[in-house]
Amino acid sequence: MRKLNRNIAIVTSIFMLVMVVMLGVSYYQMQQVSPLQSEVMQTLKELNEANGENESLQQQVRQLDLLSRKAYFVKEGQLKVGLFILLAMAGVLVVSLNLYYKGTKTLPDKELDPVDEWMNKSRSRKYITWASAGAAAAVLALVALQHVDVGNLLKKNPVESVAVSQQPTEQGATGDSLLIAVADTLKTDSTALVAAADSVEAKEEVDSLPIPKITSNAFRGNNSLGISSARGIPTTWDLKSKKNILWQSKIPKHGYNSPVINGRNVFLTGADQQARELYCFDVYTGELKWKVVADKIPGSPSTMPKVNADTGLAASSVATNGRQVCAIFATGDVICADMEGKRLWAKNIGLPDNHYGYASSLLMFGNELIIQYQNNSGAKILALSTANGNQIWSKSGNDKIAWSSPIIASLGGKSALVVMGNPAIAAYNPNNGAELWRVECLSGEVGSSPAAADGVVYGASEYSKCIAINGATGETLWEASDYLPECSSLCATKSLVFCATSYGMVCAYDAKTGAVVKEHDLTTPFYSSPVVADGKVYLFSNTGKVYIFSSSNFNLIKSFETGEKTFATPAFTDGMMIVRSDNSLYCVKKDEN
Amino acid sequence: MDRRDFLQKCGTLLVAGVGLATGGVLATRAKGKESDTFWQIDPYACTQCGRCETECVLPVSAVKCFHANRVCGYCDLCGGYYRPSVKDLNTAAENQLCPTGAITREFVEEPYFEYTIDENLCTGCGKCVKGCTSFGNGSLFLQIQQDLCQNCNECKISRVCPSNAIKRVSYEEAYQLKDHA
Amino acid sequence: MCVARFPKPDFTSGYQYPDIEHGVPLEWLWNVVDIVLLIAMMGVVVWAAYKRRSRSVILGVSVVSVAYFGFFRSGCVCSVGSIQNVVLALTDSSYHLPWYVLCLFIIPLLAAVLFGRVFCAGVCPLGALQELVNVKNFRLTRAVSAALSVIPWIYLAFAILYAATRSQFLICRFDPFVGIFRLGGDLGMIIFGVSLLLLSVFVGRPFCQFLCPYGALLSVFSSFSWKKLTITSKTCINCALCIKSCPVDAIHSPQTSKTKESRSAGVRRVILFAILLPVFTLCGALLVGGQSDALSSAHKSVYLYHLIQEQQANPEMEMPLEVETFHALGGDIAALQAEVAEVQHQYAIYAYLAGALIGFVIGLKLLRLSVKRSRKTYEIDTARCTMCGRCFSYCPQNTVKKDEKA
Repeated sequence: MRKLNRNIAIVTSIFMLVMVVMLGVSYYQMQQVSPLQSEVMQTLKELNEANGENESLQQQVRQLDLLSRKAYFVKEGQLKVGLFILLAMAGVLVVSLNLYYKGTKTLPDKELDPVDEWMNKSRSRKYITWASAGAAAAVLALVALQHVDVGNLLKKNPVESVAVSQQPTEQGATGDSLLIAVADTLKTDSTALVAAADSVEAKEEVDSLPIPKITSNAFRGNNSLGISSARGIPTTWDLKSKKNILWQSKIPKHGYNSPVINGRNVFLTGADQQARELYCFDVYTGELKWKVVADKIPGSPSTMPKVNADTGLAASSVATNGRQVCAIFATGDVICADMEGKRLWAKNIGLPDNHYGYASSLLMFGNELIIQYQNNSGAKILALSTANGNQIWSKSGNDKIAWSSPIIASLGGKSALVVMGNPAIAAYNPNNGAELWRVECLSGEVGSSPAAADGVVYGASEYSKCIAINGATGETLWEASDYLPECSSLCATKSLVFCATSYGMVCAYDAKTGAVVKEHDLTTPFYSSPVVADGKVYLFSNTGKVYIFSSSNFNLIKSFETGEKTFATPAFTDGMMIVRSDNSLYCVKKDEN
Repeated sequence: MDRRDFLQKCGTLLVAGVGLATGGVLATRAKGKESDTFWQIDPYACTQCGRCETECVLPVSAVKCFHANRVCGYCDLCGGYYRPSVKDLNTAAENQLCPTGAITREFVEEPYFEYTIDENLCTGCGKCVKGCTSFGNGSLFLQIQQDLCQNCNECKISRVCPSNAIKRVSYEEAYQLKDHA
Repeated sequence: MCVARFPKPDFTSGYQYPDIEHGVPLEWLWNVVDIVLLIAMMGVVVWAAYKRRSRSVILGVSVVSVAYFGFFRSGCVCSVGSIQNVVLALTDSSYHLPWYVLCLFIIPLLAAVLFGRVFCAGVCPLGALQELVNVKNFRLTRAVSAALSVIPWIYLAFAILYAATRSQFLICRFDPFVGIFRLGGDLGMIIFGVSLLLLSVFVGRPFCQFLCPYGALLSVFSSFSWKKLTITSKTCINCALCIKSCPVDAIHSPQTSKTKESRSAGVRRVILFAILLPVFTLCGALLVGGQSDALSSAHKSVYLYHLIQEQQANPEMEMPLEVETFHALGGDIAALQAEVAEVQHQYAIYAYLAGALIGFVIGLKLLRLSVKRSRKTYEIDTARCTMCGRCFSYCPQNTVKKDEKA
């Protein structure tokens, strides 16, 4: 009888161990196949989308989807049954063990060692005291450590996007190879698939070049301030002889927006009546790496709004933070893509009632996308999450229509969002939209964007005035009306504020007093904005003549014809300047001699 | 009675007295059916973060998607049924948003389609709810199924819900449904 | 959040809206059954222990408890967790305490004052589960047991702290056996539960002795119990089998031998620990109370506030979901700050109290351990005894008596 119980116990425990292992494996498998967590399913669905009307591929995706769903639910059922069996076996084990031991109640020796209770008590006291002291010391040590490490503990690294790996699933793959590909992807750690297959080859070629460090994340550079820390920018180039020109590429669709650079990516948008597109070019080769189309956006108008020929549907420049890039068009469509060209989200924020066409450029602050949305249909500033487009905050107001773009300036030691419109220039806390100060000073059609330097905000608009505001308090420092811009934006350094007008005059105001320090009569109109890099001010006129001034005293260093009309503002990165002319995109870099 | 026994008896009375007193005080606050013992999601506060699916202690979450038909727009291009950049409006697997295929689409009359949810397949991931709330009428919503829910003393999902949408409610309020347009 | 973007369809084909079907929770009646069974089972244990001295009945009660309270009712709400509900009801006037949870809390305590820890015998599903898998006992030394027995009080103090400040239910979060009962839950806790069960095969009732916060309360109440289990000195044959069999080491042998140290040294020690008692209490209060701000991060609003501060300091980092949701729902930072200040104020009070409790318990234990007591007979320590009944089945005199009766 005893032997029987013992054997039952042993057999049951072995069975239980096996069951536990099997259930564990089953659970793990279920997680892998789970249609909910499936990266593979997502990838395949996108691949399907990218490859259009490929019937056989669609069939395979559906089959695989069905299979994985079936597998998931079957496994779920199996797990439940397995758990019940396990419980039952546990019951059997317990009973058999108990029965086994019931028969082995041993009588101990009558002669027990006398229990010295007093010693037990004193030992207990000792143990308790030491344990409590140890626990208290541990708590104090933890507290001390926390105070030391709190700074490091708080820092988190932004999520890097994982590089693309080669996918064996090409068009026309059979069902079997598709499943094999599924097994492969289960092993590797790949994420989104690139739609254009040829980019895979291009990547290998230029992989050896370093990733440029200096970024130009928005219209007129980082934080839209118009100042770049780039060095080694040439002061002369020639598009015909390709002197100091690294590459020149055609842009599929036209737009007045300015290039934005992050890492190796140069972002622009272009639009026409047929489509609105976001482009990414490679900064070293000028090749179009990918494009994202702004289509299938619920709420998007079916006919394009009427816009001025001088504005077009893609007047707003894009903005990026190195992880996502967002673009907006005159239809009110906002799209967001990651650095590999996968469209993350898209939404329509409302068709702007704008008689010239919506033109405010985008700006990013960390993970917020800031949109200045001041049209005839209403004025608001929106902050959307770059990860999913959800609105973080929005600020509505009674301001009239404007075509200005926002900037981020360091005011009073903190980052502030400065928005210029009609009639006011205002500063906000970029995290929540709380207004810091507001100065009503402008009027008319505000097409220029503000500038800031050294804690002072500068703004100007034609037919109204040029004003300098103390960024910490909102108090006006000076006003001037000598030369006022219509479309070009101010650019400010600690000592000078540069201004280009649309009637040919350019000047530098003294940043402290507003007196005109230097002026030039250049007769050609300027829509693009002056920007400062490498100790120089670069300014392109509408006809394509470029003017380069010294940024310390605004003396004209050089000027020459480029041969291509230029309305957009250039962007700078390590040793390179990217210019978007009316016909093309080109990169100015010192030739290797 | 010796001293120890006397102290013991006093102790007993004291402790019993404390116990009864606490019990009495609490009894005045105790409730019957109006007591809050059921967990409920406020569908208007829910932001469809997806944690309902992963955080429930049960292997398959007790949170399911419900459909308030009276609020639904019966659209052809359903924001909760279709993926955002869908090409064709059919029931093909690659076009569906739901990872387990729990939503069925049935033609009612031109141009209306009826969408129903199969509870057995729904895992409470909230993807369809997100789509419907962003692009549709918001007629799909997540709610806790009370016959599946174990009614834990503290709901694990409620601890991590970012919008604090899960609360204890009484028996009467055990279901908050979005039933009115 | 519910914007009707599309108009209500006007059906021409006579389409009827289907009704929303939803599952119905378990009948309210089951709660009444729970309490009735609780009282009935405790009554059976009292009868089995005091009248019949029968372990098999107690084991039978354990099986019923595991089956009903454990697997059928999923071991939730249990008496151990009811401490939190009661604390919450005392501090938060908006919480409606269900009467059956109150009963779950009070009835075992009252039974303990009357008859000792009958609840632990076979009625508590957690204890019953450990009891059923306990096969062979290897006991820990008294000193180690004594040191470990402080842990339930620490657990109790923190559980009260977190429940009173409405942060979380600590006992529910770290319940090792509920995952086994409801066949699902946090994997970490299930593994912990299984390990505890494996341990309880060889060590008696590890959760009950060293972790259970309700057990700490029960031990206080049962040490003053009106009726105690006794060992009749007339029939006792001093075989000491009962001591060997007790899984929680609750039986003390007679102690009359003189100790080596002098009486005055003993008295000095007692006075020393009596003086140290308030010192310990104060130290405990300061140690835990001083960390009240760090502890307050367990509260959801405080945690959210810290996340917001962190995110504002580094705008480049990935925004956590909680912060994004807060902003998306139009969260008012000023209101949040006010709430955080209030929560931290509460934490300050309760953390000091919790620390004081821990310090007091440690001091009291040390004091009691320095008081000399002589004992002429075998005695059962009702504070520790979980009335499992093993001593009944091992005692040869008990079986003799039973045979005699038959």
